[in-house]
Amino acid sequence: MLSVSLTKRLPGFTLDVTWDAADAVTGLFGPSGSGKTLTLDCLAGLARPDTGRIVVGDRVLFDTATGVDLPPRSRRLGYVFQGYALFPHLTAGDNVAYGLRELPRAERRGRVADVIARLGLSGLEHRYPNQLSGGERQRVALGRALAPEPALLLLDEPFSALDLPLRRVLRDDLARVLREWRTAAVMVTHDFSEAYRLADRIVVYEAGRVVQAAPRAELLWQPASEAVARIMGIPNILHGTVIKATPDRIQLRWRGQILEAVNSPTHSYLPPPEAPIAFFIRPEYVRLIRKDRGAADPGHHMNLMTGIVVADEDFGTTWTLRIRLDAPGPPAQGDHDLQVEVPHLVYEILEIDRDRRWEFSIHRGSIHVLPA
Amino acid sequence: MELFPLWLSLEVSLVATALTLGLGVPAAWLLGRRTFVGRDLLAALVVTPLVLPPTVLGYYLLVLIGTRGPVGRLLDAVGVEVAFTWKGAVLAACVGSIPLLIRAAQAGFEAVDPRLEAAARTLGRSEWSVFWSVTLPLAWRAVLAGAVLAFCRAFGDFGITLMVAGSIPGKTQTLPLAIYDHVQANQMPEANTLALLAAGIVVVLLLGVGRFARLRY
Repeated sequence: MLSVSLTKRLPGFTLDVTWDAADAVTGLFGPSGSGKTLTLDCLAGLARPDTGRIVVGDRVLFDTATGVDLPPRSRRLGYVFQGYALFPHLTAGDNVAYGLRELPRAERRGRVADVIARLGLSGLEHRYPNQLSGGERQRVALGRALAPEPALLLLDEPFSALDLPLRRVLRDDLARVLREWRTAAVMVTHDFSEAYRLADRIVVYEAGRVVQAAPRAELLWQPASEAVARIMGIPNILHGTVIKATPDRIQLRWRGQILEAVNSPTHSYLPPPEAPIAFFIRPEYVRLIRKDRGAADPGHHMNLMTGIVVADEDFGTTWTLRIRLDAPGPPAQGDHDLQVEVPHLVYEILEIDRDRRWEFSIHRGSIHVLPA
Repeated sequence: MELFPLWLSLEVSLVATALTLGLGVPAAWLLGRRTFVGRDLLAALVVTPLVLPPTVLGYYLLVLIGTRGPVGRLLDAVGVEVAFTWKGAVLAACVGSIPLLIRAAQAGFEAVDPRLEAAARTLGRSEWSVFWSVTLPLAWRAVLAGAVLAFCRAFGDFGITLMVAGSIPGKTQTLPLAIYDHVQANQMPEANTLALLAAGIVVVLLLGVGRFARLRY
């Protein structure tokens, strides 16, 4: 159990956040400069909040009300810094052993050997950090932080120092280590897919504030606001007008079309008719209707529309299509209304490079309304 | 030929370098790592021995430690005599050389990534332990380079030593003072030998530190 509440005023920036977490891994997600790392530093005692209270488990680490402010060395938190901050003058083994000075020599040696083995670093104990690969460095940094058995692990952008293919491997590596060690962790990242892959609960930061804190699946499908959706980098954030809202469904008008959407189960809300409403459509959930299977069935295909592909981009395994609806008025997103993502294979089979006019449908469950 | 000035100079500069390390390393750490009231004053004070004429420095030191000076009276009370003894020469060498050490060591401490020290703190170490296990091991080359410069400066001091310790043959006459006396007395072979010795020692030291500093941490 982790409970964080703090304010800190800096020149031109104010951090004012409150969140708590019972889950194993909490992700702090948001753009650069939104206060995520500063929060970690406050947790670790490397920065001092102006006011607030930090509780890890049953230990109060910081509390302005009672004047508690444990120094970093007494907080028992493991901090994996961005870029790892390994001690360059110590070997991998000595880096891991660094936090174990209080232990008797024999026990320390045993613990280091155990950590080294569990992290797959055997044989590298005597290498210096500059003789290790990026992935090995990450594991040494993890080992150094985990060896003293911290109450909480703090991870600051754990993959920022790595190139892309390695990132993916290490992401799975880290997920495994966190599971095996059963250590609660707080991880800072500005990459939503990283947060989603590793965290059970995600706290979204923007400009020093928390704009949403939710389990990862809830955040993925039900961002609490348009602002959160934009921070997450969701494409196709659109604006329409409410026709009718019930706790289950919302009917809305957009670009001359009437769309049926499912109301958000957790943020179920009932805007009055004619109210503006924001919603988003995931590009991979738009279904193109095959022309060789006869006419589309309105009973089966919801939210049928027709449009023309005005541009497409090849992303290797997928294509992104920009589609403009057959509807009067300016398109919703510059030259197009919708971004649609199709697998490369589908693009080839349907010969989209040649055939630009398409009918498509969107399931009502794939239109996600955003509370105002 | 009388080699006493050489031995005295080596002795004085060694003791002075040790003292300089003891005082200068904490000062350099403070200047490189902490913000505190009077930081700017300390920074300015550290540079003054580099820019003041040695005789001016020597004069003020003498005023300070002379039998009627504030520090001198204190020292007198505990029975320690500094002015015009080898201890005076050590003091003179110290004051002249400490800026070189502090400036080099400060740059060394500033070059240590503060996150490494932060990491050490989160791993349960006290400030004292952080310094000895992270800061100093990463900055030791700069400290060593500063110490060698300080030693060479101490070894070669003339003006401050002359003012504070005098030039008493067999007692406080260090090598640079002896060379001067030899020249004054037109004893050129003696002056030449001592000068060669001084130059040789300094060159060997500087070469040695250059080689040493290329080692890993």
